[in-house]
Amino acid sequence: MAKSTYSKVDEYGFKRPDDFNYEMYDNFMSQYMRVLIRRAQRWSTLKGDAYKKSGTLKRFVRKGIPGDRRTTAWMHISGAEDLKKTNPVNYAYLTKQIDNQQIIETIRIDLPRTFPDNIFFPIDERLPAMLYNVLAAFAHQNKDVGYCQGLNYIAGLLLLATKDEEASFWLLKALVERILPQYYVATMTGLLTDLDVLDELVLKHEPLVHRHIHNIGMPWAMGTTKWFVCLYAEVLPTETVFRIWDCLFYEGSKIIFRVALALIKLHKQEILRTSELGELIGCFKNMRNHETVINCHKFMQEVFKLSGNLSNSQIEKLRRKHKK
Amino acid sequence: MVPKLLTPEQKESRMNICADILNNTDTDPDLLDTVTLKGTRFESVEAVKAKVTEVLNQLTEADFQLLSAMEKSYGAVAKSSTADAMATNRSGTAQRPNGSAQGKICQFKLVLLGESAVGKSSLVLRFVKGQFHEYQESTIGAAFLTQTICLDDTTVKFEIWDTAGQERYHSLAPMYYRGAQAAIVVYDITNQDTFGRAKTWVKELQRQASPNIVIALAGNKQDLANKRMVEYEEAQTYADEHGLLFMETSAKTAVNVNEIFLAIGREIEEAEPRTYPRTSSRRPGGSGQGRRLAEGDTGAKAAGNCCK
Repeated sequence: MAKSTYSKVDEYGFKRPDDFNYEMYDNFMSQYMRVLIRRAQRWSTLKGDAYKKSGTLKRFVRKGIPGDRRTTAWMHISGAEDLKKTNPVNYAYLTKQIDNQQIIETIRIDLPRTFPDNIFFPIDERLPAMLYNVLAAFAHQNKDVGYCQGLNYIAGLLLLATKDEEASFWLLKALVERILPQYYVATMTGLLTDLDVLDELVLKHEPLVHRHIHNIGMPWAMGTTKWFVCLYAEVLPTETVFRIWDCLFYEGSKIIFRVALALIKLHKQEILRTSELGELIGCFKNMRNHETVINCHKFMQEVFKLSGNLSNSQIEKLRRKHKK
Repeated sequence: MVPKLLTPEQKESRMNICADILNNTDTDPDLLDTVTLKGTRFESVEAVKAKVTEVLNQLTEADFQLLSAMEKSYGAVAKSSTADAMATNRSGTAQRPNGSAQGKICQFKLVLLGESAVGKSSLVLRFVKGQFHEYQESTIGAAFLTQTICLDDTTVKFEIWDTAGQERYHSLAPMYYRGAQAAIVVYDITNQDTFGRAKTWVKELQRQASPNIVIALAGNKQDLANKRMVEYEEAQTYADEHGLLFMETSAKTAVNVNEIFLAIGREIEEAEPRTYPRTSSRRPGGSGQGRRLAEGDTGAKAAGNCCK
């Protein structure tokens, strides 16, 4: 098939890398289109209270939420819809409370630095304005967090997925305040804890990799801070990120660790072959180009194939152990 | 001795037992007295050794190849040999002078610190790739790049750790500046607050980083001198008082970017006793990498020993 079938920009407006493997992508898409059609049909059979927690819904979510249902589905399964209904004030009100100059300035500096290569951000002037509103409204209503770098990428991707400013705000609020640990507070203690939890999980699941990474001397923070703080935005291909978020919204933050371990397992041989820090970091940066990572459907199967106890209660136990 | 057909799971499990044993012996030899590995309890060092031998005997050819490749890479790291340093000089920007068989190879760990959006990543991008982006993506966590340059008869490889600037990422900073031989503390000449923040970084480095660390102060965005809020003399005086290198730089126009890295290279060179290699960024056996570090402890010994 001719390479020109696919644009140099993906459906969410991100430029594909120069060395993007179009042939491999074509092979994947020809299968994935069928998956998408099948999933769309299956989702249309959901009756009644479609978003009530159930084994069926969990299975459906793991197999991917159809793009045109994402906004509604995410709002319901994440608890964002609840937040929206029960919050004492509405979003329009919150956007009118933006007055802290320091927060405003910090966010403004980051606006043009959020996805500068994405074609929708500079061209469509509404997007940076929407991003500003979401981030500033959020920062003002959560004083403990305020604005933390990294939230701009999450909110940016939420906007690209939903095209809906208000939904993006509630989803961001649900993530930060309900689903994720204290990653974004001023001390980032939740992040420091989760880096230690990851260290322990890798030691348990992939001891050779663990040993190698320690010998080379790469702090986990170096290779994986973005995995936690950006929830794989800016780290993995966009569609793969959204498939991860489908499950994150439904199942909680344990998914971050499942994905981390799956990535490490997939790249075990490459990691072990590196001999110095630069190479190792390069290997982590390159994970987005792995065939299985681009094939988001297969990747999610790998994520849930991992054996061993990675339940929320197990993760919480480890978090208590490594509490800062 | 070597079984013909191991399933991938069997192979994996054996490799993991090996690694477990190696890990435990590394971190705490006392553990060996009574140790439980993969559910098996060992009562003596001999029992563990016997188990290791047994496991090793069952490894396949492919496992051995992998292990020896790993061995080799640790060996290379530990030796930090000339060949290794030359092999990693991929950037191609620096050539060693002809026939300088006696030329030294140096490797420095350098960290960039400073307030958000002062231009840390842009300085690195200019130095390493000769590029500039008006809107550089904000750095989350840290980025790592290398660049090799030539200083007289010395080949200098910079391992550059570029950090996130936002105040709250501060808790991650010690693990980046720990063991660094050099730091560039960056501020934006059009923003007085960023100069204040730079002073805080200098103070922290002088208190907590390696005692011999070479610190350079960079007043970036020199191309915007018409919007200047920090006077050149003010920064120069501060730098003199605190023993810092100082330059005003512009990542955009490339002014003083190579120069500041070169000056750091020379400063380290001169201060340097000609001793044996750095091991600064390698700490085998440590287990709590995500932990906050109160002191620049182990790094202190390694800093200042990079040339040979």
